[in-house]
Formats: sequence, C-alpha cells, structure tokens
Amino acid sequence: MMRAFDSPAVDLDPMPEPALVRGRAIVITSGKGGVGKTTTTANVGAALAAAGKRVVLVDADVGLRNLDIVLGLESRVKHHVLDVLEEKVTLDEALVRDKRSDNLYLLAAAQTREKEDVVTEQMKALIERLRERFEYVLIDCPAGIEMGFKNAVAGAGHAIIVCTPEVSAVRDADRVVGLLPNTWRPELIINRLRPHLVKKGKMLSVDDVNGILRLPLLGVIADEPGVIVATNKGEPLALDPTSETGAAYRAIAAKLAGENVAAPTVRVPQDGFLAKLGSLFGGRA
Amino acid sequence: MSGRRIVITSGKGGVGKTTTTANLGAALAKRGHKVILVDTDIGLRNLDLVLGVEKRIVFDLVEVVEGRCQVRQALIRDKRFESLSLLPAAQTREKEAVSEEQMARVIDEVATLADYVLIDCPAGIEHGFRNALAGAREAIVVTTPEVSAIRDADRVVGKLTAAALPLRLIVNRVRPEMVKTGDMMSVEDVCEILQSELLGAVPDDEEVIDTTNRGEPIVLDESNRLAQIYDKIARRLAGEIVPFTNLGAPTLFGRLFTMWKAG
Repeated sequence: MMRAFDSPAVDLDPMPEPALVRGRAIVITSGKGGVGKTTTTANVGAALAAAGKRVVLVDADVGLRNLDIVLGLESRVKHHVLDVLEEKVTLDEALVRDKRSDNLYLLAAAQTREKEDVVTEQMKALIERLRERFEYVLIDCPAGIEMGFKNAVAGAGHAIIVCTPEVSAVRDADRVVGLLPNTWRPELIINRLRPHLVKKGKMLSVDDVNGILRLPLLGVIADEPGVIVATNKGEPLALDPTSETGAAYRAIAAKLAGENVAAPTVRVPQDGFLAKLGSLFGGRA
Repeated sequence: MSGRRIVITSGKGGVGKTTTTANLGAALAKRGHKVILVDTDIGLRNLDLVLGVEKRIVFDLVEVVEGRCQVRQALIRDKRFESLSLLPAAQTREKEAVSEEQMARVIDEVATLADYVLIDCPAGIEHGFRNALAGAREAIVVTTPEVSAIRDADRVVGKLTAAALPLRLIVNRVRPEMVKTGDMMSVEDVCEILQSELLGAVPDDEEVIDTTNRGEPIVLDESNRLAQIYDKIARRLAGEIVPFTNLGAPTLFGRLFTMWKAG
C-alpha cells in the first residue's frame, strides 16, 4: 500500500512544481458542527491562493462532503481521497483545480463511503505528499470527535479552531483543544459575531469566548446573510473586493502567512448618537 | 407504558438538533405528556446546557449502560416542566464506549417511563449516529434551507429509509425575507428536494442564541412566536391536524437545485 506514495509517478506531475520547503498542513476544526469550518477553509484557502500561495484544500468529511459546493466545484469532482488512498487513481487525477485560481486545488471527500474506511496512517502519508507540492494544505475536519476527526488531525501540524460566540460551541471547542497534541498552539477564529447582540448583552463577546479558550486570535468574522448567499452560489466571499467579510478573510490569510497584520475584528457599537444612527441602518442580521 | 422513541438527526452539525430537542420536549411536556430527552452526543454533550441543568448532572448515559446506576438515578427532572427529564451524555468518554445493542436496551427501558423519548443525535453519520438510531422507532430530520445542510440531510434520509425508520422534516432557521428575494430556498423547495413530509418550519430568530446561552428553552415564553410554533409542532407530532402557516411558492433557486441534484 505505502509503496505507491514513493512511486515515480510523483515526478511526472504536470502540476505544481515540488516546493523546496514542505508546506504547512493545517486542520480547521471545531468540535461542534455548523460553526463555519467549511466556509472558513474555502475562504482562507481562496485568500491565500489569491495572494499567490499554492494551496490545496482537503475535505476530510467522508460521507458528508460540502467543500466542493462552497467552492462551486461540485460538478467537476470525479475522484476523491479514498480513490487515491486505494490507488484507483493518481493524486493528479483526483485534484480538482479551482475555476478562479490556478494556485488553488481541491481534494474532495468520498460521498458514498464511511469515515471508518480511511486508514489514519494512509491519510498521514497523503498529507505528507501534498506538503511536498503545496505551500498550504488546509484540511476541512468533520464535526464531532470520532474517527473522522482523528483522521483529519493525523497529518496536520497546526490547527485553526473555529468557534461561534455560543456557550455550546465554546464548550465543544475547549474539548477539541484538549484532544489536540499538547505541543500545538492552535489559533482561533471567532465566527458569526453579531455586534448588536453583543452590545445588548445577548451574545458572548470576543473577550468572553477567548477568556475561556485563551488562544491566539487569528480574527473575528461578523454574521451576515451574504455568507449564506455566497455559499449557495459557490463563490467564496474572500474573492469579493467589495465585501467587508471578504477583507477580513484576506487579513486572516495574511496573518496566517506570517505577515505582520492585525487580527481583523468586528466593532461592537458604543452608546451615543452615532451608534444609534448606525443601528437604524444596521438592521437585523 | 411504552412511549414513542424519536431520534432527532440532521447529518450536518449546527442546524439546531439540540435546540429542537429541548424546545419540542418542553412543548410536549407543557401539554401534559411525559417526556424524556436522551443526549447521545457522548464527548460533546450540550443538551444539558440548553436546558440549564448542567450543574445538576450526577450520573450519565454511559454509567447507565455500564450498570453503575439505574436509569431513574441518572434522570434529571426539569424544574420548570414537571414531566420533562434529561438523560445526559458522558462528557469525558468516547462514543465507542456504548454499542448499538446497549443503546437500544437503554432506550427500551427509558421508553417504559415516558410517553415520548426524544433522542438527540450527534452530528455526522459515524458511530454516534448509528447509536442514536439504534433504539429509535421514528425520526425527525432537522435541516436549514442551505445547500450544504440539505445535501447532508439527503444522505441521512437515505440512511433512515434503509433502516426503515419513518421520518418527517423540520426546516429550521428560515429567513422569509431571503426566500422572497430568491437568496434562500423555500420550505416547499426543501421538502421537494428531500421528498419528505413536513413536520414544521421554524423561522430564524436571534432570540434563540440568547435563550440557549442562558439555558432557558424559548417555549417558556408563551408570547414568543417561536414558542407557538414549537407548540404547533408538538401537537402535530401528537397526531393533531394543525394547518401550516404559508410556506411560500417554490423559488427558481430551488428548481435549479433540484435539476442539479438530478443531474
């Protein structure tokens, strides 16, 4: 089984030149589902690619894949991770190039298989192989902390924790941090913050969340209906120059790439005339 | 007594399984039914938080399975609804700590104590999902009108059908204004795509975030429109014929999605 990974086929790859330095493998995880792991993976990946980095996104959610939809690539997926692990196709045949960027690739999950079909050691070897060719390997982790989680984490060397400002999401995120290798220093993205609710004391603030998790903050993303629309359309907001959320994802990508930029944040309105005026136009999220 | 055993599942996480379980359970209890909620999300439990009983947990599901306590000892009675109790999940164990046979046996026993056993399923379709299904006789699939949630729900509907579990849908977090502008699928679209019968549609309401954080099910506030909706769903579940509120016409978006899915 393992011999395939050393096969000379790797040298014949027509696609990205092997990098001199191995890329970073980063798992995007949360414990709780529906907090925005897949959206984050797609947007951070698209932003990194737009900044000229070579990026591959790996969907580790065998049986419940969605990263292909969020990227708008669902009709282009022909093969998946398990096809590669089972040597039915080569890695090149399974990689789907993004419509918009030559730097961005997707390795889709199998939809009609089970997470238990993936052998952790094989997954690790696959991620190693991807690191030889891409600067960033972003692994979209399934919800929960079962086999799918373990496989997604296996090949990674770093983690981004996605958490919404909700008690249950914070509890699950805290549990996941405890399950990651204790030598890691995971970074945090707080997703779907609604500033007007924080102001009214009806939603946890950034400080509330990170007072519990205590992780380096990569950024805060506001809750906005535009994300649902973008997801349904398969167009990551990170590529929309007019979107504030898109700009936040680009800043997160820059920070992840080691640039000296501040973590994007969402301003919670203060009391006062301007704030009141703002709330008139803010409307409901 | 042997109550109905209903699993609440979705495939995708974060669509509102736990919130639905808590509110539907409370709505049934308010109508005088005896209800037991079972949290099967071992390792990532949250139903206790949503009900606000997290500090009162003594024993959990895994301890019941391992015979270290009786079901009755592990049940936490809700202080606000006399006939509502919770069987909490273990937090520091793995889902593999319980087998499907063991789960089915526990649910059988729990069902002798209640009219309704609502089983809160973990996200995904792994071991925890199979466990949650093991003791159930019927299912409620919760989904949101989003492409990814519907795709996951479709997969779960397939698995439930294979397991011969009758199911109905709750479409959660509908934003009528987005349906109107064509930015969101309508409830009718969702039912059409999933080819499933509707049990209820719940609008998106940010009040839910706050009540969840505070551990107070929204059905406590009778004047709240969501409380009335959960009450309607509870009545439908109990067999009453309760008319649906206007669901809106199928959108172009929904038709496109159906075509895409077929092709």
